[in-house]
Amino acid sequence: MRASALVRVTQREAPEGFRSDAESPGPLALLREGLADIASRRPLIRYLVEADMKKRGADTALGNLWWVLDPLLQMVVYVVFVTILTRGRSIPDYPLFIFGAILPWKWFNTAVIDATRSLIDADRLIKRVQFPKIVLPLAATTAGVTGFAFGLIPLAVIMLFYPDRISPLIAFIPLIALVQFVFTVGVALLVAAGNVFFRDLGNVAGHVLRLWWFLSPGLYSLAVLDESGVVAHHPFLRTLAGANPFAILLEAYRSVIYGSTSGPPHVPDLASLALLMVASLVFVAGSIIAFKRLEPTFAKVL
Amino acid sequence: MTTETAVAPPTFEPAAAEDYAMLAEDVGVEYDLRFNRKTPIRESISAALTRKRAERFWALRHVSLRLDHGESLAVIGPNGAGKSTLLQVLGGIIRPSEGRVTGRGRVSGLLTLDVGFDRQLTGRDNTRLGCAFLGLEDAVTREIMPSIIEYAELGDFIDAPLKTYSSGMRARLGFAIATSVDPDILLLDEVLATGDANFREKSKARVLELVQAAKAVVLVTHDMQWVTDYCNRAILLEKGTMIMEGDPQEVVELHRERTRLAREAAQRDAVQARADAKTLLIR
Repeated sequence: MRASALVRVTQREAPEGFRSDAESPGPLALLREGLADIASRRPLIRYLVEADMKKRGADTALGNLWWVLDPLLQMVVYVVFVTILTRGRSIPDYPLFIFGAILPWKWFNTAVIDATRSLIDADRLIKRVQFPKIVLPLAATTAGVTGFAFGLIPLAVIMLFYPDRISPLIAFIPLIALVQFVFTVGVALLVAAGNVFFRDLGNVAGHVLRLWWFLSPGLYSLAVLDESGVVAHHPFLRTLAGANPFAILLEAYRSVIYGSTSGPPHVPDLASLALLMVASLVFVAGSIIAFKRLEPTFAKVL
Repeated sequence: MTTETAVAPPTFEPAAAEDYAMLAEDVGVEYDLRFNRKTPIRESISAALTRKRAERFWALRHVSLRLDHGESLAVIGPNGAGKSTLLQVLGGIIRPSEGRVTGRGRVSGLLTLDVGFDRQLTGRDNTRLGCAFLGLEDAVTREIMPSIIEYAELGDFIDAPLKTYSSGMRARLGFAIATSVDPDILLLDEVLATGDANFREKSKARVLELVQAAKAVVLVTHDMQWVTDYCNRAILLEKGTMIMEGDPQEVVELHRERTRLAREAAQRDAVQARADAKTLLIR
């Protein structure tokens, strides 16, 4: 009988034990478990990311070309929109100015939207197979990295039009992206778990993200705020705007890709980046604990 | 083709007291319906204002059982008795609200056949993903891939997207993946009833093979013939509690009896209700 071949090949030695009861472990144990889940299921995360890549654009005529076209078209829309608004008196080299912000934001936006859906879309699987659910939002976040990486191709092309702004400082991009990745994981885990209990979160997320984008210095620079009268009267607003993680990230990307309105690229604000990295690590640890605490109820609620 | 008679029923010898495969002690699973039936906040607030108790119900309560290696345990009962919930608790998919489940060995749940399949991906990609979800290592997956394809009788279809598969092909692939994990404890939920006659026989043979390889099996089924032929023990669940545990023949007997009684009672109620309605009309 053919079936026996399967059984023989996978014979394993010592079976591991397990135990399941109503007690929930403490926060540190949960964090350790969460990290162990991620470490032991790296291949699964890789497969999920690959599957996501294969599916994205699989039904379109242009296929994976959309990874390059999408941010470009978005840039064109914003350039037209802002040029009309400012009656042509916009920031110099504006396409490059905003493209360096659109790219990382698109990654964050897609990752968060995909993460909110990641658990509820896998409801049948979650109810029937025992596996660490943390891999699902994590894969959604990681899949965004590939989109971001592909987006660097059109970025390079755009930069060719602005030779004065090309500098070796673009080597900072992976570092800034790493900080962004850690922060994104924290957000992704929370929205994924939250959406299981309150599906409204999925509806709200799109709007919150759009507001977040316009409150972040994507289409404008933080310096614009200093010129406006409102901030002069309420200095705390400036502090608030600067504390936005995406203010730090987008300004950092911009400083190495574009520079400033008056000058070439410069070294990003490393102190702020380091601070954001530490804060994001703490945030992710908290998110993992929260996620692991809620995990056992997913199968019941979905 | 393999037929039922070709494979002998498993023989079972009681194991030593400490050598259990799985132990469930006074297990209960409580559902909090607040999150389940998606009550809009509007209603939640009015419920909170009127001090209505949070809706909770026990899908399973006070269930204790012991499963030894080499055993084949059948779980039977009417719909909504908590059979699937029991499998979910045993598989570690949901955590018991009270009591404790202890297991020795790798548990694999084959709870339905094509779970987790992605229609846009090829059979091969789905197999890789499925194996990874079940916790198989990369090398093992690569090693068993050919035998999975062969067992599922897919041929060249393995590289076609799953949306081109017939339901039988999907079922075969799902079954091949789930049983390839070589679990020490296998949990099966209603899998014997799917597919065509040919595949049913094939899957039965495979399950029997796993049972004979000294694996413990817990099986939810409505196929009473299978229960009495191939299971060495059975439990009857009704409304989340264990009504009876013991010899499959006796448990099946009791289940049939109780089903008949329940049906008769329902018929009596219906007749009574009709009579009541009639008297009401006459008045």
